[in-house]
Amino acid sequence: MKKRLYIELENCIGCRSCLAACTQCGGHEERNRNYVYDVNPLVSRQTMPLMCLHCVNPACARSCPAQAIQIHETGAVLSALVEKCIGCQNCTIACPYGIPKFDEEQNLMYKCDLCIDRTKDGIPPMCASVCPSNTLQWLTEEEIEQKQKQYNMSNGKWVTSQPYLEGETNVKVNLPGILQGITKLY
Amino acid sequence: MQRDKFFKEIENVYHPNEKLIKTHCSYCGMQCGMNLRVNTSTNKIIGVEPRYDWPVTVGKMCPKGVTAYQQTNHDDRLLKPLIRDDASLKGTTKGFREASWDEAYDLIAKKFTELQENYGKDSLSVFSGVSMTNEKCYLTGKFARVALGTKYIDYNGRFCMSSAAGGFLRSLGVDRGSTLPWTDIHETDCLFIAGSNTAECHPTSIFRLWNVQERGGYIIVVDPRETPIARRADVHLDIRPGTDLALANGILHLLIENGFTDEQFVNNHTNGFEETRELVKEFTPEYTSEITGVDPEKIIRAAEIYGKAPNAVVMFARGIEQQHKGVDNVSAYTNMALVTGKIGRPKSGVATFTGQGNGQGGREHGQKSDLLPGYRKITNPEHVREVCQFWGISEDEMPKAGVSAYELFELMAKKEIRGLYLLCSNPAVSAPNLNFVRETLKNLDFMVCADFYLSESAEFADVILPSVTWSEDEGTTTNLEGRIIKINKAQEPVGESKPDWQMQVELAERLGRGKYFSHLKTARDVADEFRAASKGGYADYYGATWEKIEKQDGVFWPCKDENDEGTPHMFLDKKFYHPDGKAKICALPYRKSAEEPDETYPLRMTNGRVVYHYLSGNQTRRIPFLRDMCPEPFIEVHPQTAEKYKISHEEEVRLYTRRGEAFYKVKITEAIRPDTVFVPYHFGHEKSINLLTIAALDPMSRMPEFKVCAAQIEKLDREKV
Repeated sequence: MKKRLYIELENCIGCRSCLAACTQCGGHEERNRNYVYDVNPLVSRQTMPLMCLHCVNPACARSCPAQAIQIHETGAVLSALVEKCIGCQNCTIACPYGIPKFDEEQNLMYKCDLCIDRTKDGIPPMCASVCPSNTLQWLTEEEIEQKQKQYNMSNGKWVTSQPYLEGETNVKVNLPGILQGITKLY
Repeated sequence: MQRDKFFKEIENVYHPNEKLIKTHCSYCGMQCGMNLRVNTSTNKIIGVEPRYDWPVTVGKMCPKGVTAYQQTNHDDRLLKPLIRDDASLKGTTKGFREASWDEAYDLIAKKFTELQENYGKDSLSVFSGVSMTNEKCYLTGKFARVALGTKYIDYNGRFCMSSAAGGFLRSLGVDRGSTLPWTDIHETDCLFIAGSNTAECHPTSIFRLWNVQERGGYIIVVDPRETPIARRADVHLDIRPGTDLALANGILHLLIENGFTDEQFVNNHTNGFEETRELVKEFTPEYTSEITGVDPEKIIRAAEIYGKAPNAVVMFARGIEQQHKGVDNVSAYTNMALVTGKIGRPKSGVATFTGQGNGQGGREHGQKSDLLPGYRKITNPEHVREVCQFWGISEDEMPKAGVSAYELFELMAKKEIRGLYLLCSNPAVSAPNLNFVRETLKNLDFMVCADFYLSESAEFADVILPSVTWSEDEGTTTNLEGRIIKINKAQEPVGESKPDWQMQVELAERLGRGKYFSHLKTARDVADEFRAASKGGYADYYGATWEKIEKQDGVFWPCKDENDEGTPHMFLDKKFYHPDGKAKICALPYRKSAEEPDETYPLRMTNGRVVYHYLSGNQTRRIPFLRDMCPEPFIEVHPQTAEKYKISHEEEVRLYTRRGEAFYKVKITEAIRPDTVFVPYHFGHEKSINLLTIAALDPMSRMPEFKVCAAQIEKLDREKV
């Protein structure tokens, strides 16, 4: 059963457990590949993760002059192939979210590969495994569809992922505001 | 057992040449399930893998949990006993030399014996902690009373859970931190959370909290800061630090006035209602607002939501407990559940967020100055008889009740206590009024510290004994639910380090008390003796064998025999633990904080944790990821207050109270009350906020008032700096 990373931004508590866990998948050279931002630290404690969304037509791969960025059959956009990457950083500039990181010493790009050694077998990536707030979840298509129904507001003001993001992505995102449409129990 | 909708069958990933050891985190009371990755060639811990099949946390971990494994083979580990011959170097890291265990033990035995011969048995003290297994906690109590024969033993739970314990004992007759399992939390309709920064201190509870709101339920948060949970709460009661008792009384008043009393429950199962109703009448929303600084409308709304909720859980933590009226605060918030009858059934009850990993179990079995195993009282002759018989000592050998943690330091200052055996704690950072505490440690005749790193407290020791981390020994802990769980050994101790229980057995032998200890050869031996010792006490662990814990995913105490599956929900029969079976609704007059703001010290100073650090930071400040995320403390200031003092973001200021001063960088945020400043407490030496805190003790729990005192900020003259 195909599963996807699903992000519910409203839930984030800024613990950065996803960053710590990113180093733990066994294949990431113990360097984390995602980000968590303080949205407006002088005002509130709101935070949000910035993860690779694994675009269906990824700008990073398109911009790569060396074809170093491969797309896995699961849709995961992989980290640069060491033997092909020329360290030009086109990908970092091309990515609308600035996801690919750059290792100055090795002259090499590295990015989230969605813990491909885990997710190719349906096992959740490390970030979604540990996320204490369920900001990051690993869900089936059916579960995501249900989320989308649950959180589509009738005024069309707020929906999941499209059309607010740059293009179609494998990772689905719920923008802040999920509590707006909830009917209270009493 | 208790597998809920969050539980998913997920296989773990096994990397080549690795095995996984199931265990739990070393840090807070959540005791999150985790697998430690062990390299099968080197037999060393090398990483972590989620434990998806642990029903409480289903694989989730906070950043401390994810990186906890890095403690074990850390470069800073103490590998051999250390002795310092030059006492003038106390309070520094200097002067230590490596020694053999024999030399260290001989020196300790000689010095302890000399002190006791010259100044009496009670010239020695033991200061312990609860970030270790039940077995170690139990044996530490026995070590103090039987091997050393001193009455002066106490532990760091006095700085953590003692007010919750005191409040629950008074209200419910029993001190189990949660009356219901955590797997109920997300199914309730209303969470009323006071003084808990849950998102940073117990992050793996958050997915259950959020689910209450996703289901249409409510979260009410009482906190002087807009913490991550307060930000999302339905009602945030932005309280002035130190005024919880007034708020709880005010809400109770509204619950009673507005017809939310469960009269049948109150009549049949409680005492004290009428008296309490009279007392809280005074606490109208307006009067409550005057004291607490919370808008009356918000107080009314919160009472209405809690009152109407079919099921609700009242939760609290150190914010309300670390006050000199901490016990009263606990009983006052517990009153809400008792008056409305929202306790003693699934999805409703009362819970405290236990701070330390084994804060629950560690306080039950005899490390506290007045307690013996199984929550027996040392002041109860019947209890003393039972334990003496079990230990094989005569009743006149059993020391009397001692004094609380902070009071130990006061007796050290008076030279009534001259020697200290410190383990599993770092009071040179975590105790209040540190200028005084550090001075007393420096002036001790002889001090031993057992730790796996050279902590700030170890800097005052004459002898340091290298202990093991949680991953190099086995035993049980009791998590914040009251669930007894199993900590498993993942690798052999590094260097010459040893588990605390083994040191205590070997030291007892040196002190001529081997016959009470020498039969304890393994952690399992200690476990079996400990279970039997608890038998018949109300915290009865006798039936909680390691096998049953494995089979059932933990065992909730009380668990009296092999057929008893344990007690996830307390009071389902509506029987409370007071002799008449009734709970006590407590009439509690409001008291001000020990030190109210005035013209010289106009600010209210409070403190707490950040998500990256645990307690005194002795462990987490050494972990690169956690240190990088929060390398130093800061002072949170509201923009209005910053404007008043003409200070700006990132500027260093002097913060001072009547007891001390420290220098911190300013962090400006609107997410705090303008009359309040906040500093995290995890830092040592000149950065410790406890240099400034006040040691006003709760009359019942002897908990210091960490959470509120009066302070002032001084803008530094940059020319002079």
